Amino acid sequence: MIRQRILVLTFAGTLFGLCCILLAHAGMPQSAGAISDIDPHTAFGSKTAPVVMEVFSDFQCPACKTLYTGTNRQLMDNYVSTGKVYLIHRDFPLPMHAHSRIAARYGRAAAQIGKFEPVEQVLFQNQEKWEQSGDVDGTVASVLSAADMAKVRALVKGGTLEAGIDKDYALGQAYHVNQTPTSIIHSRGQTFPVVGVVSYDILHNFLDQLLSQK
Amino acid sequence: MMQSSPFNLRRALILIGRFVLGGIFLYAGYAKIFLPNMNPHPPIKIALSLFAMQVDSYQMLPPWAVNFVAHTLPFAEIALGLLLLIGWQLRIWGTLTSLIILGFFAAVVRSYALGLQINCGCFANPEPLTISTVFRDGLLAALALVMTVFAFIEARKPHSWSAPEKA
Repeated sequence: MIRQRILVLTFAGTLFGLCCILLAHAGMPQSAGAISDIDPHTAFGSKTAPVVMEVFSDFQCPACKTLYTGTNRQLMDNYVSTGKVYLIHRDFPLPMHAHSRIAARYGRAAAQIGKFEPVEQVLFQNQEKWEQSGDVDGTVASVLSAADMAKVRALVKGGTLEAGIDKDYALGQAYHVNQTPTSIIHSRGQTFPVVGVVSYDILHNFLDQLLSQK
Repeated sequence: MMQSSPFNLRRALILIGRFVLGGIFLYAGYAKIFLPNMNPHPPIKIALSLFAMQVDSYQMLPPWAVNFVAHTLPFAEIALGLLLLIGWQLRIWGTLTSLIILGFFAAVVRSYALGLQINCGCFANPEPLTISTVFRDGLLAALALVMTVFAFIEARKPHSWSAPEKA
């Protein structure tokens, strides 16, 4: 009987202690932070948005396609275009994918002429096709005018795009990214890594929590 | 004459199971709520929403269930960890612990088999889900089952201090 009472008291005491820690952490203030090395051609939204989201992505990765089509499109409509989230595309072409680096080059070239959004969309939406055929050029050409496509091809052949891709890759390694998609979310000096596909409903809850912080 | 020895292999495994699983559960719950590896620590509601995204990345549950699991599991882990360490009503909490760990094991095996490139989310740190995660969870599930089965067997045996049965 006495042993049981001691056990119950120990349990209750520990729970009380945990509750005190919980209350102490509940209203903790956060500090602000800043992100460097942002290429404005591959970023969307307001630079002054309270939340910055860097998405390390590979155009040939099926999970990246799922994240893009299922989550990030809604994110663009509801958070990026309203100035709440600054969304940055980061290239992280995995060596296991034969065409992902060339796709990243086309993406970057399109970004330099202000056409990143349609090219990103067409590359993800037709991923299975160009993955089989290797025809990244033809896929990109289907959404650009002949003049724009000529500029893109010149940029891809120019070889100046590798540095940007390598810079993104190195940044990903600094964040310990080893799989795609990985989203690094920054808010008030905090950095939250999110690996894999996250549904819009769950991401939306998380972003609302970040945005409601005082 | 004593009916059972005061300390045997079964009791040793029960004790090991209680302390290993209790410690792991306690730390796992604490890590998910307080994110000790993050500096400065975010508020608890944000930590739980972050955990919800890790649960969601397993692509097994609808959003309402993801939120339910994310907002209850860390607290359940702390409570179960404490109960295992204390050793009170071990058969009940051991059974519950075994069921939860078997659930984790099933989720990890499924994700690994599907080739999902995700983080385990076990201790709220960026730990990729690999074959070692599968083995680790399998070992923990085995330990939980052994501990629970032995707790039931030991509970049926008369204690060393109990009076001998009359013939």
